[in-house]
Amino acid sequence: MAKPFSVPQVVFQSSAVQPRPPPRPASPGLPFMSFDLGPAPSSSSFSAPVPGSFEDEPPLLEELGIDTRQIWCKTSSILNPLRVEAHLHDHADLSGPFLFLMLFGLFQLLAGKLHFGVLLGWVTVATLFLYAVFNLLAGRSGNLDLHRCLSLVGYCMLPMAIFSAASLFVPRGGVTIFAMAAVLVLWSTRVCTGLLVELASCGDELRGLVAYTCCLVYTGFSLLVIF
Amino acid sequence: MRYRRSSLLYLRVQRRPSLCACSLSGDMYNNLGNQAGMQGPTTNPQPNPFGNAFYGAGSGLIRGGLGAYGEKFLGSSSEFMQSNISRYFSNPQYYFQVNDQYVRNKLKVILFPFLHRGHWTRITEPVGGRLSYKPPIYDINAPDLYIPFMAFGTYIVIAGFSFGLLGKFTPEVLSLQLTRGLAGWFMQVLLLKGLLYSLGSGEAPLLDIVSYGGYAFTGLSLTMLARLCWSYSYYFLMPWMSLCMGVFLVKTMKRVLFTEMRSYEKHSSRQHYLLLFMAIAQFPLFFWLGKVAAG
Repeated sequence: MAKPFSVPQVVFQSSAVQPRPPPRPASPGLPFMSFDLGPAPSSSSFSAPVPGSFEDEPPLLEELGIDTRQIWCKTSSILNPLRVEAHLHDHADLSGPFLFLMLFGLFQLLAGKLHFGVLLGWVTVATLFLYAVFNLLAGRSGNLDLHRCLSLVGYCMLPMAIFSAASLFVPRGGVTIFAMAAVLVLWSTRVCTGLLVELASCGDELRGLVAYTCCLVYTGFSLLVIF
Repeated sequence: MRYRRSSLLYLRVQRRPSLCACSLSGDMYNNLGNQAGMQGPTTNPQPNPFGNAFYGAGSGLIRGGLGAYGEKFLGSSSEFMQSNISRYFSNPQYYFQVNDQYVRNKLKVILFPFLHRGHWTRITEPVGGRLSYKPPIYDINAPDLYIPFMAFGTYIVIAGFSFGLLGKFTPEVLSLQLTRGLAGWFMQVLLLKGLLYSLGSGEAPLLDIVSYGGYAFTGLSLTMLARLCWSYSYYFLMPWMSLCMGVFLVKTMKRVLFTEMRSYEKHSSRQHYLLLFMAIAQFPLFFWLGKVAAG
């Protein structure tokens, strides 16, 4: 029987993983993109034949500026409230804070409270408050900027996220939850004050004043968890 | 102190071994930048017009026109400071020159004004040919803005606790309480400003009045904290705190009026009645701000 099109024979090769590339049609007018299957047999990515664009691109996280090793270093330094390592926080980034706020929101969600928007608003207000008060207190020698302030407030939110997780297992309204709140707020305050005083070159005599401001901020956040 | 701090910074440049091998290439340059920034206070690393508004030059140009209060015109050339706002707000940096000792003593003066043995007048010093007041570090009677802001924050947090223990806490309720607190502060400022205008001298700086008005939140926060512990303490502590605030305001406003008024109008009975009215008006204000039961 005469076929209108020439259909190639399909041959199933048992050892080959990749499909056979379809043959080019005879007429040159049709645009046909040939898929270059790459050197590795297990690769399943198709790349357009533009020279050197895909393999040369940096990894996605690096392109976004998220350095996971640095985030992990900063997190582990915050987990120790007694020793404040300020040099790790010299380079402020916002991806760690974003992660901690998402975790906080997630644990609040597990407790039945939808607080993601509230967290966003409260963190903004708290950052602006801390920025204004700290720069006015420190005077000419204070050099805190908003980006670094937000980064510090966000990183010190880690104890609050831990509190939110732990409060899922503790009965509501008991003494345990208030005691835990006190301990974790003090942890947050101590780390935040230490970092602020070291990084933004404030004097030691203002430490108590800055500490009270941070304490107010984190007590406000603990209210979200307790009630 | 300065040398000790710079030597500490220098020590930090020689890196101590940290727990993890993080890349620290940017840190060294930042630390050197800090060191340079501290020794030369005019080199501001961040080109930040909003930041410049806060830490102005210590002995910059002094703008006349506000009586005994010297308003310092900040040395930066940003648009913000050249606008009219700088005429109505005196330099906010002045109100934040505080330290621990000042805060403790000022809290004692606010909460127990009867026990303040010293005088209530502010100390003046001649700065650049004009008479200006000493900053709060050197003068217990100078107004500051740190205590009002912190007291307001404390008030909001304690109100949140009160709502929570009543079982009615939601974030919206806390925002509502914040708005109420701000409205109360605004009404207090209006009251004080109205008093000054009706007695003929409206030239006190606005931030002074804001500061005097904000001191009310310290007594209020203390009362609300005591109410959390024992609910009946509210009934005697709240009138007591209103009375203390009334006495404090009367004594402070009298000194403010003294400096502004003409000599033949001092000690008039009209002045006394208005000051008494201001003291009595503290009671309903405190009761309104302290009411969290109805939500």
